[in-house]
Amino acid sequence: MSGYANTDVLVTTDWVKENLGKPKIKLVEVDVDTKAYEAGHIPGAVGFNWQTQLQDSVRRDIVGKEAFESLMSAAGIANDDTIVLYGDNNNWFAAYAFWLFKMYGHRDVRLMDGGRVKWLNESDKSLTTDPPKVTPSRYSASSPELSLRARVQNVLAAVDGRTHNLIDVRSPDEFTGKVIAPPGMTETAQRAGHIPGAASVPWSTAVRPDGTFKSADELRTIYLDGAHVDPGKPTIAYCRIGERSSHTWFVLKYLLGMKDVRNYDGSWTEYGSMVGLPIER
Amino acid sequence: MDRARAVYDDVLELLPGPENPTPLVRLNRLSPTEGFTLFAKLEWANPFGSVKDRAAAYLVRALEARGELSGSRGIVEPTSGNTGLSLASYCSVRGYPMRAVVPNKIPLEKKVLLKIAGATLDVVSDELCPSPGASDGSINLAKAHAKAQSERWVMPNQYENEANVLAHYHGTGPEIWRQTEGKLTHLFVSLGTCGTVTGCSRYLKEQNPRVKVVAVQPTEGHDVPGLRNLSQLSVSKLFDPSLIDEILEIDFNLAYTRAAELARREGLLAGPSSGLVLEGACRIVERERRGLGVMIFADNVFKYVSNMSKHIPELVEGTTP
Repeated sequence: MSGYANTDVLVTTDWVKENLGKPKIKLVEVDVDTKAYEAGHIPGAVGFNWQTQLQDSVRRDIVGKEAFESLMSAAGIANDDTIVLYGDNNNWFAAYAFWLFKMYGHRDVRLMDGGRVKWLNESDKSLTTDPPKVTPSRYSASSPELSLRARVQNVLAAVDGRTHNLIDVRSPDEFTGKVIAPPGMTETAQRAGHIPGAASVPWSTAVRPDGTFKSADELRTIYLDGAHVDPGKPTIAYCRIGERSSHTWFVLKYLLGMKDVRNYDGSWTEYGSMVGLPIER
Repeated sequence: MDRARAVYDDVLELLPGPENPTPLVRLNRLSPTEGFTLFAKLEWANPFGSVKDRAAAYLVRALEARGELSGSRGIVEPTSGNTGLSLASYCSVRGYPMRAVVPNKIPLEKKVLLKIAGATLDVVSDELCPSPGASDGSINLAKAHAKAQSERWVMPNQYENEANVLAHYHGTGPEIWRQTEGKLTHLFVSLGTCGTVTGCSRYLKEQNPRVKVVAVQPTEGHDVPGLRNLSQLSVSKLFDPSLIDEILEIDFNLAYTRAAELARREGLLAGPSSGLVLEGACRIVERERRGLGVMIFADNVFKYVSNMSKHIPELVEGTTP
């Protein structure tokens, strides 16, 4: 883990095992496949459903402040707890939750490197179906930290002014406009292509096959050398629905220490459907 | 059991082996040239309908030998359908519970059949944002069940378990050798867990190193159940490229059209993976012009009516008054 700009945002599976059950350390699992938690989770971990609990159920938006406070309070999480997030798909939704918790001002949030699958494949680690013992708390969130989030007006200003690094973390076929979305996906858009000036770096380029993040040097080669990301400029990352891009947001902001990195959670489902916006292929 | 009169004490006695091989049927119309004879090995003659019955038998027997199965401890396995069906049926005969974890995109027929055969089903949503190298949802969910509730479930893991290969090394491979009287020049298979290709190739090349093993794969974005294309193969630990002479990537739509041709021109009601194998075999036959090839036809078309209709719209025309 050496070389990362922030060393206290990633923990190993071994560290989690050693710290199981310790007070003030709260494990939270967030998966793409919402069945995964019930099939077996790290002892003591609570599971959050990204669709029903981390999103507003009426408007297209992140979960509201009050609902977020209720969620955290019911999960027994205190403001000064260390939260360790993990999940499936190389921590993709866990990274989204990381972004969300940071928006609401939680101080100490970490990702378990390698996520759920790494834990699953290590023979000295156990899973349980037992629900965690939770003592409800009284969690209070800050108002959302909007400097972590890009809205479409930020994106358009960036396109016009060429002021930002724009990073498209979708698959190459989505970037070139060959497909609007991967086959069978219902969340699509009216047009295919990418935001003008964006560089294509699929999100999973940042991790190894076992789900752990690549080294700082490897990441610099990928983003700075390969994709010509300028560390002196602010950055906006996007994908289709804003979840994959939070994974890249984490890499750029926390592992590479870049200043002013935002996640554009509206992403292509918003940009690719808005009337009159410029698109490149 | 009295094999000569085809009288058996239970359905498991129908499982094949060198003394009781699955049939080899010669193609009479679809082989491109007369100099190259093509045979189809009809694996749907297995008791539960597919080539996977062989692997299931070996997987279960290996667990039984270690005392791992009982009425309260059964099998959980990620499967596209056929392995689940074979395992579920085998377990039903033996009285073990069975839990199948399947991807949502498999045809409805397969999901229902699994439940008919006695499996409990976990259906995993298709990848929200698929990416090569990302973990396979059904494999990981099955592993989670086995890890979190190891007193209830054990996962044989067809993707990594050598028993899968042995089933073909001791069964399918020797059968083919005997049935072709050692004259086989080519073996044509599709790739999924790679148990069939690895086991058969290992055996056949031991008998004659010049036998050519040709594997077929569908193109990206395919929906042919059970098969894996190049980007998905990393999951199949049994894949051994040194045992395969050639891998052909074939447009997956041909799987369906060729399967229809097999039915209509040879009376072989073969499933889509067989259609893909036929296409690959024909390409090699056209190139080589002489030889004796065996194609492994994993299962028949009965479970794939909905997929066939999707890919061959003409099939649905004229089906209402």
